[in-house]
Amino acid sequence: MNAIDARHVELTYADGTEAVRDVSLEIPEGEFFGFLGANGAGKTTTIKVLVTLLQPTSGSVAVNGHDVEAEPRAVRESIGYMAQETSIDGELTARENVRFACEAYGVSADDRAERIDDLLELVDLADVADKQAKDFSGGMKKRLDVATALVHEPPIVFLDEPTTGLDPKARNRLWEYFERINERGTTVFLTTQYLEEADHLCDRLSVIRDGEIVASGAPDELKARVGGAVLDIEFADADDATLERAREVAEDAAVFDDAEVEVTDDGLSVRSASARRNGTDLLVALNAAGFAVTGFNVRDPTLDDVFLAITGDGLDDEAAAEVAE
Amino acid sequence: MTGPQEKAAGNGFVRDTWINLKRWVLKTTRNPFVMTVSLLNPIIFLVLFTEVFGQITGGAISQSLGTEASYVTYLVPAIVVQTSLIAATTSGIGLVEDIESGMFEKVLVSPMHRGAVFLGKSLSEVLRIVVQTSIILVLGYVLLYVDTGASVGEYVATGWLGAVGIVAVGIVFSVWFTAFSNVMALLTRDQESTIIAVNLLQFPLLFLSSAFLPLDILPGWVQTVAAVNPITYGVDAARALMFGRDVMTVVEVTSFGGMWDTLVPALGVLAALDLALGAVAVYFLNRASSSSVQ
Repeated sequence: MNAIDARHVELTYADGTEAVRDVSLEIPEGEFFGFLGANGAGKTTTIKVLVTLLQPTSGSVAVNGHDVEAEPRAVRESIGYMAQETSIDGELTARENVRFACEAYGVSADDRAERIDDLLELVDLADVADKQAKDFSGGMKKRLDVATALVHEPPIVFLDEPTTGLDPKARNRLWEYFERINERGTTVFLTTQYLEEADHLCDRLSVIRDGEIVASGAPDELKARVGGAVLDIEFADADDATLERAREVAEDAAVFDDAEVEVTDDGLSVRSASARRNGTDLLVALNAAGFAVTGFNVRDPTLDDVFLAITGDGLDDEAAAEVAE
Repeated sequence: MTGPQEKAAGNGFVRDTWINLKRWVLKTTRNPFVMTVSLLNPIIFLVLFTEVFGQITGGAISQSLGTEASYVTYLVPAIVVQTSLIAATTSGIGLVEDIESGMFEKVLVSPMHRGAVFLGKSLSEVLRIVVQTSIILVLGYVLLYVDTGASVGEYVATGWLGAVGIVAVGIVFSVWFTAFSNVMALLTRDQESTIIAVNLLQFPLLFLSSAFLPLDILPGWVQTVAAVNPITYGVDAARALMFGRDVMTVVEVTSFGGMWDTLVPALGVLAALDLALGAVAVYFLNRASSSSVQ
């Protein structure tokens, strides 16, 4: 049995917006699955269908073997869900938030005290357990939210953009918890707009664009699909006109016949199957044409390159910049 | 910590109600300030009105009731209803808070019974009305005792049972306005708009009713509005218990005898209103629960 089995899910809102056009997912138990897409691509809508908050317009979804429409309560009992917006009660203490979640999910009174302590320990909030959550930092609130989603030790957890808006330190900490949860055998369904996050955490991922899945596979498979390597070149003079001329030179240079050239902030990014072998030839050609090359680097493609190749544009410049910091 | 289990054990309806009731009571005790401030307005009304108007209203009241009565005794039922009105207002504000904090959605994703979720919250509000109206009843007696040294029997003519009845009237009265403030909350999804929408109604509703003075000495148009104003029915029901006699002037009923000529029609009107607005609120809550996406 798959943890998630979604077939041809469509969701159209009352105002006619087709948020999800055609999404099919088969996610085996224990997998760390990533759902990658830009803002508005349909990630949150899809996750809300999977956790019974929205009914699909058409298609079918089974979570842990239960149909989301026919047996919503059975689905709810068997999942943990963390919404994109941090969802905790600020007036309650951290401990009371976790206790309320324990009670809501019917964790027996015998297990409750220990479970609460364990979870607060897991997310490093044990020392502030009896403080009101409204005074917590964004990262602490998020961690508390994680704890409340895990009280019933669900076989699957849904995490909707769990690290958006967090600083890198808080983000790395959450990553550790997610990996720990997954190592315990829990299936994780994570949506993200950060390529680095998907690359770091996920066994397998699907890329969603305009409500449709456009690519699926393990991060390395997806990168291999791009093929070859990427040659990044920096120029001393990086104004638009110079870079545009450099791009023309790079495209005309008969070094690679398969090169795809992109202008970046301070230079060029050239992707080719033979970038490693013939890269120096291009550098020589650029030098001969009068460009002052100040740096170059040949690397494997990243998921960002995958995304460029699939969609023709970057995922989310702002998000990418945040991750890079 | 053990590995993931197959499924959580869901609770029964009563247990789910209790869990939600506990959460909302806990939230209320975390904010004693809100509890106090929301009582402040009714207390100011009670003290100032009795001190300022108490001197001149005696004639009109005894004429209307056909008996001598202190203005404190006359006013306390109105303040009880005002207290319920304010408490009901905060119900919608709590709902907006929950929607804004994401707790609303979090609870919807849990296996808890949805009816129990809202029942638990409503019961916490009932509890609050019981506490607050009891405080008003006690305070009214203190004012009367300082003034005249009256006994409890002279304060609430129907005795302790009547006092409990007055609190119960406060609860029956609150339901329709609780429903209204929740509908406002779901329509606006904004705390300030909800507060404005329900507060705007508070003063006109109170003054255009039998709350502060007998209707027969008020202008004709006020009497007309008062006849269709739910406040009149709440206040008259509480006042009938206070004086142990028929005090209602907007509807003439004589078939039950004594205070029941007020209580039966007043509670009947309130119950019908509660059901009607309750149904509207349930409709909106259902709609919000089945499509929680903004």
